[in-house]
Amino acid sequence: MAGELRCVVVTPERQVLDEVVDFVALPMYDGELGVLPSRAPLIGRLGFGELRARRGELTQRYYIDGGFAQVRGNVVTVLTPRAIKAEEIDPQAATRALQAALAPAPTPDAQEARLKAQLRARAQLRISQRVRGEAG
Amino acid sequence: MAKTRALVKRRKAIRNIRKITRTMELIATARFKKALDRAIEAEAYTNKIAELAADLSANATEIRHPLLEQRQVVRRSLLLVLCSNRGLCGGYNAAILREAVARCRQLEATGTGLQLELSGKRAIAYFRYQGMAAERTFTHFEDKPRFDEVDELAQRYLDDYIAGRIDRVEVAYMKFLNAARQLAVVETLLPLSKVTEAASRRPGRATAARPAVAYEFLPDPRDILEELLPVSFKVRLFKCFLDAAVSEQIARRVAMKAATENAGEMIKILTRQYNRARQAQITKEIAEVISGAEALK
Repeated sequence: MAGELRCVVVTPERQVLDEVVDFVALPMYDGELGVLPSRAPLIGRLGFGELRARRGELTQRYYIDGGFAQVRGNVVTVLTPRAIKAEEIDPQAATRALQAALAPAPTPDAQEARLKAQLRARAQLRISQRVRGEAG
Repeated sequence: MAKTRALVKRRKAIRNIRKITRTMELIATARFKKALDRAIEAEAYTNKIAELAADLSANATEIRHPLLEQRQVVRRSLLLVLCSNRGLCGGYNAAILREAVARCRQLEATGTGLQLELSGKRAIAYFRYQGMAAERTFTHFEDKPRFDEVDELAQRYLDDYIAGRIDRVEVAYMKFLNAARQLAVVETLLPLSKVTEAASRRPGRATAARPAVAYEFLPDPRDILEELLPVSFKVRLFKCFLDAAVSEQIARRVAMKAATENAGEMIKILTRQYNRARQAQITKEIAEVISGAEALK
C-alpha cells in the first residue's frame, strides 16, 4: 500500500479527530465519497451525513453538519461547524427537530431553512439507527 | 492607645483584601489558560479555512461575491462592542470603550447611520450613561463563547448585510497579540477584506508560497468559495470573541497581581507605623513611671 491515510476532523471549537486510518467515507453534498490512500487532491463541499473512518476492523462514525473537505498528500481534512459521534446522537431530539421541520413554513426563505433542518434531522436519525442496529 | 488599635484594624482589613485579590488572580490565571487553549484549538480551523480559501482563489480566476464588494456609499454601519460582564480587570473595558466611542464620533462626523450592539454589562452601563441607544445587548457571552451562539449572531449580520440593511460590520474588541500584549482595536469584518487572509492570524504563514496543487473540485471552485465566504466571516467573528475572552482574563490577572502587590506594600508600611506607635507608647509610659518615682523621692 502506498503510505497511510490520516483523517483530521476539526470544528471551530476543537479538533475532534486526528488518526491514521485505512479508509474514509465522506458525506459530500451529493452523496458519499470514499477515500483510500494516494487519492488525487480534492476540495469539496460536504452535506449533512455520516463520516466513517475505518482502521482494521474498527470503524468510527460521526455525524457531519456540512462544511468542507480537503484531501491532499494522504491527509483528509474535514472542516465542519459541528461533528457528533454517532453513539452520542440523541434520536429523540432529532425526531423532535424533524417534527418541527415538517410543519409548513410561512415564507419561502423559512421553507428553505425547514428543508435543511429536515435533511439534518433525517441524517442524524439514520446514523443513530444504524449504530443501534449494529450494537443490538 | 487609640492609634495603635486603628492601625491594627486597618492592617487586618488590608490583609483580607489581599487574600481576595490573590484568589482572584489565581482564578483569572486558570481561566486564562483554559481560554487560551480554546483559542489555540480554534486556530487549527481558522488556519485551514484560510488555506482552503487561498487554494481556491488560486484556481478561480475572478471572484465576485456580495460579501467581498466594497460599497460606494455606506449609509448604515454596525458596531459591535465586546466588553466584559464584570469589572476589576484594570483598563480592559476603558481601552475598548475609548476606541469604540472614537469610532462612533467618526461615524457621526461623516453622517453615517450607526447601529450599536453591545456585549457585556460594562459596555451596556457605559453607553447608557453616555445616552447612546444600543440596538441590541448581550450578556450571555462569558469567558467561554460557544460557536453556536456566535453563529446565530453572525448569520443575522450576514442576512442584514446581504439584504442591504447594513453596509458595514465592525467589531471593537481587545485583540490578543501574545500573553504580554493586547491591543484594543476596531476591526472591519464586512465587507471581507481579502479571502486569502480572511481567517488567519498570521496571513503570511498560511498563504506562503507553496507549490500549486492540481485539485479536483466538487462541485466547482466558485461554488465552494461562495459557501466558504460566509463561514470565513463567522470564524472571524468567533475569533474576535475568543480573543476578547483571553484578553479579559489576562487583564484581570495583571490587575489583581498589581492589587495583591500593592496590598502587601501597604501592610508593610502599616506594620512599620504600628511598631513605631507602640514603641512610642511604651517609651511614654516608662517616662511617666520614672518621673512618678522621681517625684516620690
